[in-house]
Amino acid sequence: MIQIIKRIFFVCALIYLTGCGVPQIPPEVKLAEEQELNLWRLGAQVYLPIPYAQYRENFRKARKNLFRENSKFVWFRSYKAVRSEFINVIQEGNRLFVQLEQTKQDLSRHVGNEIVVLQERIDKLKELTGKINEGRLARRDLVKAEVLFLEARKCYEENDFKKAGERIYMGFNHLAAAESILFPIFNRYADKNQVMKWKHWVEDTITESKEHNRIVLVVNKSERLLTVYKKGLLYKTYPVGLGQSGSQDKLHAGDRATPEGRYRITKKLPKSKYHKALLINYPNDDDRRQFQIAKEKGLVPHQTSIGGLIEIHGGGKDIMTYGCIAMNNRDIDELFKIVKVGTPVTIVGAVSLQNSLSSNLKGL
Amino acid sequence: MKKSTMIVLVFVMAGLLLIGCGKQPTEDMNAAKSAVDAVIAEGAEKYAPEDAKKLNDELTAALDEVKIQDSKTMKNYSKAQEMLAEVKADAEALKTNLPVKKEEARNNALAAHEASKTAIEEAKKLLAKAPRGKGSMADIEAMKADVKGLEDSLLEVQAAVDAEDYAAASEKAKGIQEKAAEVSSQITQAMKKVGVKTQ
Repeated sequence: MIQIIKRIFFVCALIYLTGCGVPQIPPEVKLAEEQELNLWRLGAQVYLPIPYAQYRENFRKARKNLFRENSKFVWFRSYKAVRSEFINVIQEGNRLFVQLEQTKQDLSRHVGNEIVVLQERIDKLKELTGKINEGRLARRDLVKAEVLFLEARKCYEENDFKKAGERIYMGFNHLAAAESILFPIFNRYADKNQVMKWKHWVEDTITESKEHNRIVLVVNKSERLLTVYKKGLLYKTYPVGLGQSGSQDKLHAGDRATPEGRYRITKKLPKSKYHKALLINYPNDDDRRQFQIAKEKGLVPHQTSIGGLIEIHGGGKDIMTYGCIAMNNRDIDELFKIVKVGTPVTIVGAVSLQNSLSSNLKGL
Repeated sequence: MKKSTMIVLVFVMAGLLLIGCGKQPTEDMNAAKSAVDAVIAEGAEKYAPEDAKKLNDELTAALDEVKIQDSKTMKNYSKAQEMLAEVKADAEALKTNLPVKKEEARNNALAAHEASKTAIEEAKKLLAKAPRGKGSMADIEAMKADVKGLEDSLLEVQAAVDAEDYAAASEKAKGIQEKAAEVSSQITQAMKKVGVKTQ
């Protein structure tokens, strides 16, 4: 009896050990596992998400079939089909490596180009900001774009093209914000109708000087020059400074823009906060009309007046005024001697479509 | 003992052996899943991405093994149990090491943040000394705006630190530091041009 029990125990043990024994893994399984991990390390899930997901699904199916085979009693196991599946997975993985390499190369080229474009655009816009006082308003966005550019470049150098691409996209958004400040200002100086209008004002003023033997002053904002005409002929030119928003046409009090139009000197102030000053008759009728239209359109802040007290004064051409035209002290001294109350002063943006501001828009 | 009793005992023991291998290891599955969830919640995918991926793959494989046994008549979950136990152990080991990696990333981000703040302060001090007039007013206003833009970007660094996105915080802080140094250099050059001492 004991012999019978021993035999039964032996058979059960034999069945148990062989039935639940350690599974034999075909070598392709390990290769496939390593391949899958390497594809992940190279960023397949980032750059080829759909093919990689398909590949992983096939890998998982093959592995499940392996487990299924392993769970059979050893006498009924066959790894032929499983091995074939893993070979297919490895072949698929190899194709994925090639595709991934190509994708990353293409992306590297694309991102590299975008970085160059972003840098060039930043440089160009920075140059624009140096041409007008209002440039400072765009600098905040520009510098944010520059920081993002530096981040993008670092990601690119570390072959993280996805992150580089994201940083470039954010950088371009900041550039768009900077452009929305700068372009409307510059575009006025490239507007044919606007420039022709200015040109006519200047021509009429010079004609007045010739016909009435008068000294007249013409301020060209884009070139930052004040020109004195005597008898219709150019007498002298002085460099000038403008308002903090001097490139724009003054609309209301506090906008810090330098007005455009035809004015006259209404007062001479030999002693001024800014050495000497020549007060002009801003606002004129045209200014009042424009102010009213703007107010009706809601473009003027509530309870804001049209403003006034626009002067040509000393203090240095490099200061940024609240809308006045600033000159060096020795220049205003000279001017003071030759002008009088009633002298025409015409202030324009430009007299030619080829001016300092419009020419900077090329390539943008 | 009687012969018949012995035979019954043998078959009962054999039966128990088979049944013991045949119950789905629900507790082990839940324990493994919880362990993996816990370590992912701690930021494993951010601070140890490869280890986190391996852990997720191990868990998937273990659960697949369970599913395969579920479909069989003669179930044997011993292999699955072994795999689940390994997942749980690996998850716990990763969880132990994670705080160290997280702390390292945090310290790097904070150091970069401080360095960028210092660089901005340096630029602001120089700006305060920068000369007025002599062709520099517009430049100074532009550089003041640059510094304001850098301060805006610094807020983004702080936001990234608060969100525990330390890698992003470090990257941005380094960009700000580089740009701030550039602004300081421009101010210094402008000051030298007009003969103003920078110290």
